[in-house]
Amino acid sequence: MNPIFEEIKDAIVDGDEDLAVELAEKVVAEKIDPVQAVQFGFIKGIEEVGKSWTNGEAFLPDVMMAADAMKAGMDVLEEVLAAGEGEGAYEDKGKIVLGTVEGDIHDIGKNIVGALLTSAGFKVYDIGIDQKAEDFVAKADEVGAKIIAASSLLTTTMKSQKVLVEYLDAQNLRDKYKVIIGGGPTSAKWGEEIGADGWAETADEAVELCKQLLN
Amino acid sequence: MLPKFDILTEEQIDKIHKNSLKILQEIGVEFSYDPVIEILKSHGQRVEGHRVYFDPDFVENMVEKAPAKFTLHARNPEHNLVCGGEDIIYMPGYGAPFVYDADGGKRDATMADYDNFVKLAGASKNMHMTGGTVVEPTDVADEIRHLKMAYSHITNSDKCFMGSSSGYEFAKDSIEMTALLHGGLDVIKEKPALICLINSVTPLKYDDRMLGGLMAYAEAGQPMVIASLVMAGSTGPATMAGALSLQNAEVLAGITLTQCINPGTPVVYGSTSAVTDMSTGSLSIGNPENALFTSASAQFARFYGVPCRGGGGLTDAKTVDAQAGYESMMLLFATSTTGVNFVLHTAGILQYYMAMSYEKFMVDDEIAGMVLRYLKGFDCDSDEKMAYDVIEKVGPGGHFLTQKHTRKNFKTEFFRPALSDRQSFDGWSKDSLDTNQRAKLKWQEVLANYTAPELDSAVKEKIEAFIEKRSKELLK
Repeated sequence: MNPIFEEIKDAIVDGDEDLAVELAEKVVAEKIDPVQAVQFGFIKGIEEVGKSWTNGEAFLPDVMMAADAMKAGMDVLEEVLAAGEGEGAYEDKGKIVLGTVEGDIHDIGKNIVGALLTSAGFKVYDIGIDQKAEDFVAKADEVGAKIIAASSLLTTTMKSQKVLVEYLDAQNLRDKYKVIIGGGPTSAKWGEEIGADGWAETADEAVELCKQLLN
Repeated sequence: MLPKFDILTEEQIDKIHKNSLKILQEIGVEFSYDPVIEILKSHGQRVEGHRVYFDPDFVENMVEKAPAKFTLHARNPEHNLVCGGEDIIYMPGYGAPFVYDADGGKRDATMADYDNFVKLAGASKNMHMTGGTVVEPTDVADEIRHLKMAYSHITNSDKCFMGSSSGYEFAKDSIEMTALLHGGLDVIKEKPALICLINSVTPLKYDDRMLGGLMAYAEAGQPMVIASLVMAGSTGPATMAGALSLQNAEVLAGITLTQCINPGTPVVYGSTSAVTDMSTGSLSIGNPENALFTSASAQFARFYGVPCRGGGGLTDAKTVDAQAGYESMMLLFATSTTGVNFVLHTAGILQYYMAMSYEKFMVDDEIAGMVLRYLKGFDCDSDEKMAYDVIEKVGPGGHFLTQKHTRKNFKTEFFRPALSDRQSFDGWSKDSLDTNQRAKLKWQEVLANYTAPELDSAVKEKIEAFIEKRSKELLK
């Protein structure tokens, strides 16, 4: 096996974004099999971090920096992967659009959820804070996501989660996506009330929820 | 009152202060609200887009304009409060969306809960005011929640309370209602009667809603707590000195702004900084780091010559257990002995501000009573208190139980627990109730026996008419 795969794995485990990008560029420049680079490098690394996390040995900075490094490296490979270069094909476990709802500018909880989903093998599209229902849906449509995940930290912005579900209803798109919600003041009851497909209290539970929904 | 102790050296204060000024000058703070940008521009501060870079001398000069202490007026003057100096003000928790029950149940907080917590604070001799947003009454529409909450404070108690800071319009409504209670806007401008909580969005931002609230209170000459909650490790650096520098920069920016709008407006230096649990990303507040941030904030407020808000009966526990007790005692003790003046969240909080609990309220009320007694310290001011005569009278080998001096003094010298169990084992084991169970019986008893102080019916009618009019407008 090409020794660069081991280097990529280590870069992910160390959460070294610059090195991950550098190695990915090398993969492209030297025409190394990108699918193998993903499988034996990036995925191996993030899986190792994910395992340490589950065992309680890794902490948030470890996981979040690994997820950032993974994303940055994978972005470099995107073009060659899309062109179908390499043996076999790389497939993520599912695409998820993630964001904080309109009126709310809190993003740390959302970022944690994004990192843990990434480390679990999902492809996460984070659209940022203060996002309208139509922005969530436009992105989901663009990338072919199955899940839309909406975060809210304030009791006053929770209603934007409801607006999102209502918007999907109005556009006749409700069946196309699974909508999940989270954030401090939200609850399972609130999720049911607004007709969301799921709610999770913690980032770990959000990962489990997505696994269930995409099963 | 006991002297308040410092936890930072003068050199440490100086280093952190300068670090904060450098943050303000070179990194700047983002204010999303355009009217505020105009004000700061007109005061000569460098502005790029919504980011403001503060001149250090300007910040120091503006902060100096804020008063060292002020009086907050209650409708019953016996409950007027001095905020600042040696005084300490306790009140219930603020902003929790959930109520956790004695049996471990979790539910959305309602308006009925709101009224209950206001009454419990009204009944408590340890709660100096009834607070604000004592829970989020989720069964009341957002648009009129602030009206219902203010009405609850006004009618269920005659102590001081807090008003809405949720945007310019809601803030104005709270101020109007308080003006109706006290006889006009001019009256409360002269004698401040409403205080609110303005929070930054860490790191280094203030949002529209809070800035609108800040403008309304500053214009009306009503006091504000300007607070920052740095979650060290996530919304701020993982070092204590770095997180404190960041918090300090945000609070100084907020105080500076209030003094630009209305010089001399009473402000309180606020801190709720604590740490991030690095396994879950959650805020964690029942810890020694929070106690250190709180104590350091009290010292910084003294350094800047303004009152301080911070701390409380704080815990990460989900039920009234040993963790809830030991964390809350550590925090309220540190808060109170190092000189915080305004203690939001004294009573009722569980799980890092997420929930209020009736049982926890009663436990914290007990802790508050214990700490207040501790703060009174020793009274050595009279021969009576020095007790030489009675010691001489009893002499070697006697006892003091039947002395007049004992009977006269023990009630004021000793703290009398309302909740703690001091019985013998046999006495306790008749019911074998733990603290949680006793607390439940206690709050039910307090609520059953509570009578709200009467409110002048003409004033009440005016306030009700205001609520009706505004509700119609807001619910359109």
